[in-house]
Amino acid sequence: MARVLENFGKDLLKENGVPTPEFSVAATPQEARRAAEKIGYPVVLKALVTAGKRGKAGAVRFASSPDAAAKAAEEILTMTVHNFPVRRLLVEKKLDISQELYVSITYDPVQMGPVIIASTAGGIDIEEIAAAHPEKMLKYPVDILKGFNLYEAKEIWSDLGLQGGILQKATNILGRLYQLFIKYDCTILEINPLALTPKAGLIAAAILMGVDDDALYRQTYFSEKVEAGSDRAWRPLTDLEKEMIEVDKTEAYRGTARYTEMEGGNIGFFCGGGGGSLLSYDALLRFGGKPANYTEFGGNPPEAKVKGLVKGVLSKPGVKGFYMNLNITNNTQTDIVARGIIGAFKDLNIDPEKFPAVLRLAGVHDAEARRLCTAAGLEYHGDDITMEDTARIIVEKMKKAFPGETD
Amino acid sequence: MAILVDKNSSIVIQGITGREASMVTQHALAYGTKIMAGVTPGKEGQNVEGVPVFDTLKRACKEFEINTSVVYVPPAFAYDAVMEAVGNGIALIVIITERIPQQDAVRFLAAARQNNCTIVGPNSVGVITPEDKVKLGAIGGDNAARCFVSGNVGVISRSGGMTAECAWMIKQAGFGVSTCVSIGGDTLIGSPPKNILGMFEDDPMTKAVVMWGEPGTGYEEEVAAFVKDKGFTKPLIAYIAGRFVEEMPEGTVFGHAASIIEGDYGKPSVKMAHLRDAGCHVAENFNDIIPALQNVMA
Repeated sequence: MARVLENFGKDLLKENGVPTPEFSVAATPQEARRAAEKIGYPVVLKALVTAGKRGKAGAVRFASSPDAAAKAAEEILTMTVHNFPVRRLLVEKKLDISQELYVSITYDPVQMGPVIIASTAGGIDIEEIAAAHPEKMLKYPVDILKGFNLYEAKEIWSDLGLQGGILQKATNILGRLYQLFIKYDCTILEINPLALTPKAGLIAAAILMGVDDDALYRQTYFSEKVEAGSDRAWRPLTDLEKEMIEVDKTEAYRGTARYTEMEGGNIGFFCGGGGGSLLSYDALLRFGGKPANYTEFGGNPPEAKVKGLVKGVLSKPGVKGFYMNLNITNNTQTDIVARGIIGAFKDLNIDPEKFPAVLRLAGVHDAEARRLCTAAGLEYHGDDITMEDTARIIVEKMKKAFPGETD
Repeated sequence: MAILVDKNSSIVIQGITGREASMVTQHALAYGTKIMAGVTPGKEGQNVEGVPVFDTLKRACKEFEINTSVVYVPPAFAYDAVMEAVGNGIALIVIITERIPQQDAVRFLAAARQNNCTIVGPNSVGVITPEDKVKLGAIGGDNAARCFVSGNVGVISRSGGMTAECAWMIKQAGFGVSTCVSIGGDTLIGSPPKNILGMFEDDPMTKAVVMWGEPGTGYEEEVAAFVKDKGFTKPLIAYIAGRFVEEMPEGTVFGHAASIIEGDYGKPSVKMAHLRDAGCHVAENFNDIIPALQNVMA
């Protein structure tokens, strides 16, 4: 999923007929001050980052004067919210709110379809609503083939106790939100709160929006606006991670890989398959190993891609060993993987004699993989031992080569 | 007997002329699987490894009695290909394609439910029944017997690669497999583990099941509830990978797209506790699958 920044999300709401507070984006305290002047006080200033729970992190402030707005902006702009440094902020009209509603639309893996959650106890996290006010919350599965009719939106809010003008407004907004969810291939669309204001009626005060990475090819509105996979990390991508994305993009349809840098560690981790890599990492930790990164790959990558990825894995400072563990492959050619790894070691002038490395490469063309690895001086294993056994071997090798670095 | 595929499977491959699909066709034919036809629009009259190619599934179904389709069509066209299979009344549709937009998946899954079609995948590596030499998808590659030998253990896996590794572990333990199902690594799939388990319950050939689980989703929890309710009464050996993910900041995803933890939802430790509580054999280490299997099959 690609997280959509609040300003882009609110632009889309406006375009699709859902009212939002007046807002402006600012990158400096001076810009924030000017924006606040234009919007009129009081204003709310929010860090413009893709991380959630900004309020709890102190990255949402209120201001009633130009100086207060500039000061709040200055403070927010020096913050790092859940590891994301703040570069810009949203300056927005502070609403006079009399009631807060909640609404979200996601795909539910039990219903295998869209599910709407609505509540008349908005303004707090949905988990808190569920715990404190279950009677004020409603979960409604949508039949995606039939679509979502306006009367269904009306029933949802009516069942939650809304009446009169607010019922009609909430019905219209929910109908529009569902259309927006479908139209933009969202994976999540949450408005919390959907605020009732005495003057302006219902307004979408805050939005959380995620777009399906796999639909970005047809959602051109978001090109340059979102980062694919931005929900997968707990911090912004590092330079090496960005480089590895570029490596992965070469011959995009042959083999996929994902690289994540871990804190510290000394074992370069290059393991196979979405599942096999999980097992390999668990096993390393269990035996007392310290992986420095996490690379999973699969889908029969070409030699050049493997080489580029392995060079990245080995180039992280502190990496003193290499672990490649792969399940017995269905279609990945192990000889090609072996060639890529050997090429990376050569390019980086790494002497396998002095650099602990363990490879398990079983499956398609593994006789050749064994021959290549053995000739290059890399410890090769095929399907003679299990995936967990190789984890034990690399950890023992590391402990022997670098006593005192483990545990 | 077995589940999903057997000697009565009459197979079509949608997108057969693609690089990967042609190779898979070659491997499947060499294994002994009967593939009746392929579909690629604009390529009718050609053949892939002797398998005739048609422009439409409708024409292929006119020539042959097809009951099973394997979808190898690229993501942008996969929705229509699956709808074509549903529209032509194909009973089993195995979707290999990765990275299909979620909205498309939800739509064809709903259409399949309405038309009583079974979907396996998306993002599956395939299904194999060694007894009848039937394999759909890349599963087993060009040397299926290395991992997949006929026997009485069923395999359900959220990981394509680990489907083969699980079957190999079963072979190491001295047994073989009835049917192995790679259910797909996505969140929105046609056949969650519980559904497959129900099929294994009704299959006399299957005496026990090995299940590969991962973080994220409620699939393993559903399985635990299903076992508790006596929906599945044979021995179930489960391994849940990715326990380290629990120690990472919430929302971090490693491995498949579906492996996201939110609160307690999706935690391997929680899944393991549920499964243990239901009386399943939960392997602490992957290696433990071997003794656990020898134990229950004795």
